[in-house]
Amino acid sequence: MKKITQFKPNRRHFMQAGMATSAALLANSALAEDSVLIPSRGPGRLISETGTYGVRSQYAKEVRMKGSANGLVGGAFTPLQNSQGMVTPSGLHFEVHHSGVPDIDPSEHKLLIHGMVKDKKIFTMEDLLRFPSVSHFHFLECAGNGMGEWMAPRGKSVQQTHGLTSCSEWTGVPLKILLNELGVHGNAKWLLAEGDDGARLARSIPLWKAMDDAFLAYAQNGEFLRAEQGFPLRLIVPGFEGNMNIKWLRRLELSDKPWWTHHEVTEYADPRPDDKIRAFSFFMEARSVITSPSAGMKLNGPGFYEISGLAWSGAGTVKKVEVSTDGGAIWQDASLQAPVLPKCHTRFHMPWTWDGRETTIQSRTTDDTGYVQPSYEEMYKLQGPIGLMHNNAIQNWHIAQDGEITNVR
Amino acid sequence: MFDNLWKKTLAATLGLSLCASLTVAQEKYGFGTKADPAEIAKYDIDIHIDGKGLPAGSGNPALGAEIFEIQCAICHGEQLQGVRAMGANSLHEGRRDIKKLPYATSLFDFIRRAMPLTDPGTLSNDETYGLVAYLLTQTGVLKDKDVVLDAKSLAAIKMPNRGNFIIDPASRFSAKDVH
Ligand code: HEC
Repeated sequence: MKKITQFKPNRRHFMQAGMATSAALLANSALAEDSVLIPSRGPGRLISETGTYGVRSQYAKEVRMKGSANGLVGGAFTPLQNSQGMVTPSGLHFEVHHSGVPDIDPSEHKLLIHGMVKDKKIFTMEDLLRFPSVSHFHFLECAGNGMGEWMAPRGKSVQQTHGLTSCSEWTGVPLKILLNELGVHGNAKWLLAEGDDGARLARSIPLWKAMDDAFLAYAQNGEFLRAEQGFPLRLIVPGFEGNMNIKWLRRLELSDKPWWTHHEVTEYADPRPDDKIRAFSFFMEARSVITSPSAGMKLNGPGFYEISGLAWSGAGTVKKVEVSTDGGAIWQDASLQAPVLPKCHTRFHMPWTWDGRETTIQSRTTDDTGYVQPSYEEMYKLQGPIGLMHNNAIQNWHIAQDGEITNVR
Repeated sequence: MFDNLWKKTLAATLGLSLCASLTVAQEKYGFGTKADPAEIAKYDIDIHIDGKGLPAGSGNPALGAEIFEIQCAICHGEQLQGVRAMGANSLHEGRRDIKKLPYATSLFDFIRRAMPLTDPGTLSNDETYGLVAYLLTQTGVLKDKDVVLDAKSLAAIKMPNRGNFIIDPASRFSAKDVH
C-alpha cells in the first residue's frame, strides 16, 4: 500500500471516491459525454503482489483426487473432465507412489550406471545437464488406470475411471547417448532402473528400449521436474507402463537377464483365467475416452454440444478416433486436433446435436499399427474378468432424458 | 545450487561445441566420474535371479517369525492375511501370493529394499534370510520348518509357479532371454 501514495489520484479515483454509487455515475449523461469514464475495473493487483511464481486464478478449482490407505502407497487422479488440449498442467499430473515422495537435493543426487558396460560411471546432475538434450511430448499412464472398472462400471467421473493418465513435454538426455558413451557389453539385454525413494522401486527395462527412445528427464513442461514427478531425474520409457518410468532415478544396471522384481511379477503382471500370468507387458495399448460430456455432468437440455476427448497409444500414433452417439450402431470419425504425436495424448472433437432422447456415447481409437481399441467383451478374451492392469476398453457414458450422465457398460 | 546449473552448463556446452567444430569427430563427452568397485557396492543392492548379489549371512523360519511378529504383522496380519486398513495385501492368496513368485530372489530383494514400509533398509541380512524362510514355509513352498537359508540355498529354490509365467510377445523377448 505504501507505493500507491506515490501516484497522484487520477480522475477515476477522484470520481469514485466522491460519488455515492457507480450507478449514479453511469446515469449522469454529462459525465458520459466527457468520455473519461469508460467501463473498466481500474488498476488491478500491484505487480509486486503477484508473486515471482505464477498461480492460477482463485476461480480455477480443478484438483486431483487422492487415495492411500497408509499414506505412502497410493496416488492422485487427474481431473480429465475439465482437461483442455493435450497437455496436463504439471500440478494436475497424476501420481502413484510406493513409498511417498522423497525430497532430494539435486546437488547431492547421483546416477550410477554399471553392470555390463565397459566404463562404470557416476553422473551428477551437473554432468547430465551437459549432455545434448531432447524434448518430447508423451503421455504417462499407470498400468492400473481403470482397474476398478474391470468387473463393473464403478467410477462416478472420468477422473475416477481414467484419471491415471497425463501428458507433458519432457526434457532430458537420450539414454542411448549415455550407454554409447560407456560401451554396452554385447550380451546385455536388460537394465535395472532403480529409484531413490523409500521403496527403491525397481523395474527391468529392455535394452532395446533404452537404445530406442528412452531418455532421462530432468524437466517437465519447461521447468525442472516436480518432486512428485521424480525430481531431479526420471526415466522416461515412452508408451510403457507408468510404473516403469522410474522416478528419482539413482541407478541403472545392465545385465543379460531381467530381475523379475517384485513389482513386475505381482502387481504389474497380468493373471489370466487359465492360471497363466502374462509378464513383461510393457506397452500401454491404444485407448480413448470422451472427457466431455462425461459421467457426473448434466446436459442442459437438447441442442448443440461439442464432444471432446483424449486418445493415445503406447505402441505408436493415434490414427483415427470414431465416436458413436447411439450406443454403438453408427460410428463417425472425430476430428483430431494437431499436433498428433507418437505416444502422446491426442485431443479429438466432434460436433453433436442432442435430440433430448436417452442414449449412450462412446469413442474408439485405432493406432498406426492397425490396433483397434477393444470393447470389454473383446478385452475379457485375453485376461478374463480377473484382469486388473491394462484396461483399455471402450468407455460408455449413458445420457438420461434429463441430461444426467452416468458410467455404464 | 540448481539455478546456477543452467549457467555453468551453458558455458560448458559452448566450450564443447567449439571443441567439436575444431576436432573432426567428438568421440566421447567424457562427463561423469569413473565408479570404483567400493562405490558401486554401496548402491548395488539388487539380487539377480541366479543369486548374484545375495549377501553373506543366514536365517531360519524361527528367526523370521520373531521379526515378522514385531515388525510386519501390524500390516500383513498374523496369518499373512493382510490388514486392509494399512493397505497391505494378503501374502498367501491373490495377486501378491508369495507362492506365485517365479524366483525366491525377488522376495529377498523386495523385503530388503522396501520393507518394513515405514522403515525400509533397517533389516539385517540374517533377518532378511529369516523372513524369507518364514514366509516360504508358512506358504508351503518350503516343507522343512527348520530350513536355514543363505546365499546358496536361497538361490537354489525352485518356485513352483515359475512355469506359469508367459512372456508378452510384444516385449520382443522369449523364455531364453528371461530365465
Ligand atoms: C506399515 C505397514 C507395513 C509394514 C509394517 C510392513 N509392510 Fe510389507 N507391505 C506393505 C504394503 C502397503 C505393501 C504393498 C507395497 C506396494 O504395493 O508397493 C507391502 C508389500 C510387501 C510384500 C510384497 C507383497 C505385496 O503385497 O506387494 C512383502 C513380501 C512384504 N510387504 C513383506 C513385509 C515384511 C517382511 C515386513 C516386516 C519386516 C513388512 N512387509 C512390513 C505394508 C507394510
